[in-house]
Amino acid sequence: MENVKSNPSEAAGGAPARRLRLGEVLKPGKVLLTLLMSAFALLMVVPFVWMIGTSFKTPAEVFQYPVKWIPTTLHWEHHIRVWTGPDGFATYYLNSIKISLISTVGAVFLSSLAAYGFARIKFKGREPLFLLYLSMMMVPPQVLFVPKFILFDAIGIYNTHLALILPGMFTIFGVFMMRQFFLSVPGEITEAAFIDGAGHFRIFFRLMLPLAKPAIATLAIIDFSWHWNDYENALVFLLDKNLFTVPLGLQNFIMENTVDYNGMMAAATAGIVPMLAVFLIGQRYIIQGVAGSAVKG
Amino acid sequence: MGKSWLKRQSLLGYAFIGPNMLGVLLFFVLPAVYSFYLMFTDYTFMNPEIHFVGLDNIRRMLGDDLFYTALRNTVVFLLSVPVSIMLAFLVAAALNKSVYWKKTLRALYFMPYITSGVAVAFVWMLLFQPADGPINGFLRAIGISHPPGWLSTTESSMFAIDIIWIWFMLGYNMIIYLAALQEIPEELVEAARIDGAKPWQIIRSVVWPLVSPTTFLLLITGLIMSIKTFGIIQAITQGGPGSSTTVLSLFIYQNAFRYYEMGYASAISWAMFAIILLFTVLQWIGQKRWVHY
Repeated sequence: MENVKSNPSEAAGGAPARRLRLGEVLKPGKVLLTLLMSAFALLMVVPFVWMIGTSFKTPAEVFQYPVKWIPTTLHWEHHIRVWTGPDGFATYYLNSIKISLISTVGAVFLSSLAAYGFARIKFKGREPLFLLYLSMMMVPPQVLFVPKFILFDAIGIYNTHLALILPGMFTIFGVFMMRQFFLSVPGEITEAAFIDGAGHFRIFFRLMLPLAKPAIATLAIIDFSWHWNDYENALVFLLDKNLFTVPLGLQNFIMENTVDYNGMMAAATAGIVPMLAVFLIGQRYIIQGVAGSAVKG
Repeated sequence: MGKSWLKRQSLLGYAFIGPNMLGVLLFFVLPAVYSFYLMFTDYTFMNPEIHFVGLDNIRRMLGDDLFYTALRNTVVFLLSVPVSIMLAFLVAAALNKSVYWKKTLRALYFMPYITSGVAVAFVWMLLFQPADGPINGFLRAIGISHPPGWLSTTESSMFAIDIIWIWFMLGYNMIIYLAALQEIPEELVEAARIDGAKPWQIIRSVVWPLVSPTTFLLLITGLIMSIKTFGIIQAITQGGPGSSTTVLSLFIYQNAFRYYEMGYASAISWAMFAIILLFTVLQWIGQKRWVHY
């Protein structure tokens, strides 16, 4: 496919390999592969296209074949029905935003604090404690649901948003990620501050947190999307419809409207499109964050 | 720098870790310990009296046909992990150097992964409609007169979920591969090219072995992540039809919150922990072997 004619002596001499990539000429192999990969990419996003299209159709148009990608007339009524009313998506969105935002802010701050302790302060019991954290990473959420259910029932936060927010403020993954970052900050940077008489708290707030901005942004994005998409905890710990988050509200809508396909797709659109918009705006950070977290974690 | 300094350091350390540790103890460690205890009891939510029953729950699990059904379904579900990884590698290898619009394509492939699994589950539910859904509409149009029933039959439902999961995970695996491909020294690829290797041969014999640590990492983390997956399956099928899509995570949920058999559910959840532990041990062993490629 790539018909690059290279000069062996040049490459063998360790010349920059960049020179081999031909300039701005369109390469037929590359064009062909681009078309192939675009077609496959289209297949990946077809469900979204179909979902949005269907949410604007009439019931009769839903399963028409060949598929009507763009409906003849746009029917907004499904969307209006989904967003308004007592169990509307407006309520679910407010609940999801509240829960995800408070949990994320709490989780980022508390795990940064703990991560600094693990990375930068030598104290008795640090290693065994870290090992305990490590082992907790292996415990699946399924192990914890029953005891958490009993605990939340006992302390009276079952069926309240606190049942999601309080545990949501603690992430072991976040401690690992931030610890990794704090370990990578060279000691000389903090040494000067210590000599000037600054304590650990000052160094943490004035020096380390500002340095950690990119890592914090990454953790915040990952953590927020976890809370936003979290379905299991909401399913187990919430009962009242007016408390539902977006995923749970979506399920509720679909359970109650089993044959209303347009409404279902309008609800799915309501659950997906705002998140897609956020992704398209911040995609570079999100992709970097995901790539970075996995390689390190 | 005597004893008092050490004490002060310890105090400081706990001041930093304390707030997080409190939550981790309360919401992770304590529940885990309690669940371990519940495994040996007959606790049900309806009957608050707890009796110690020894290994009864474990014995019951090992004799429970539904447990083996759940295990088998889980294995079929986990088959999607290597498939998704292979596809993701091919996509990443193509996207890495040899296409135009790389960033746009990358975003398109990644899109499913950032959406809520529950929401896309419902979209697929309609796409897979056996009678008149668009997928079977297409299959009939190209001449397949009896397309599969997808989510509606016990034989095909798990595979339909596999397809959804492959689609969902592909972008994530691709992003990790793209990061790994950046690390490959360009000279190696160039050297192979100069020796007359075809692009396909380069990918198979140079690039693929070089990213084997990444493949291994994705395989293990993917297996662990997938075995815990619950929402996307629960939302579409609730484990049905019959129990054909009841994977381990759904089986635990059903026992705990549908039948309120919480002691029994705890026992099954620790079986899941054992499997995750096994995968993790494999990772440790594998990592040691793959430190250098």
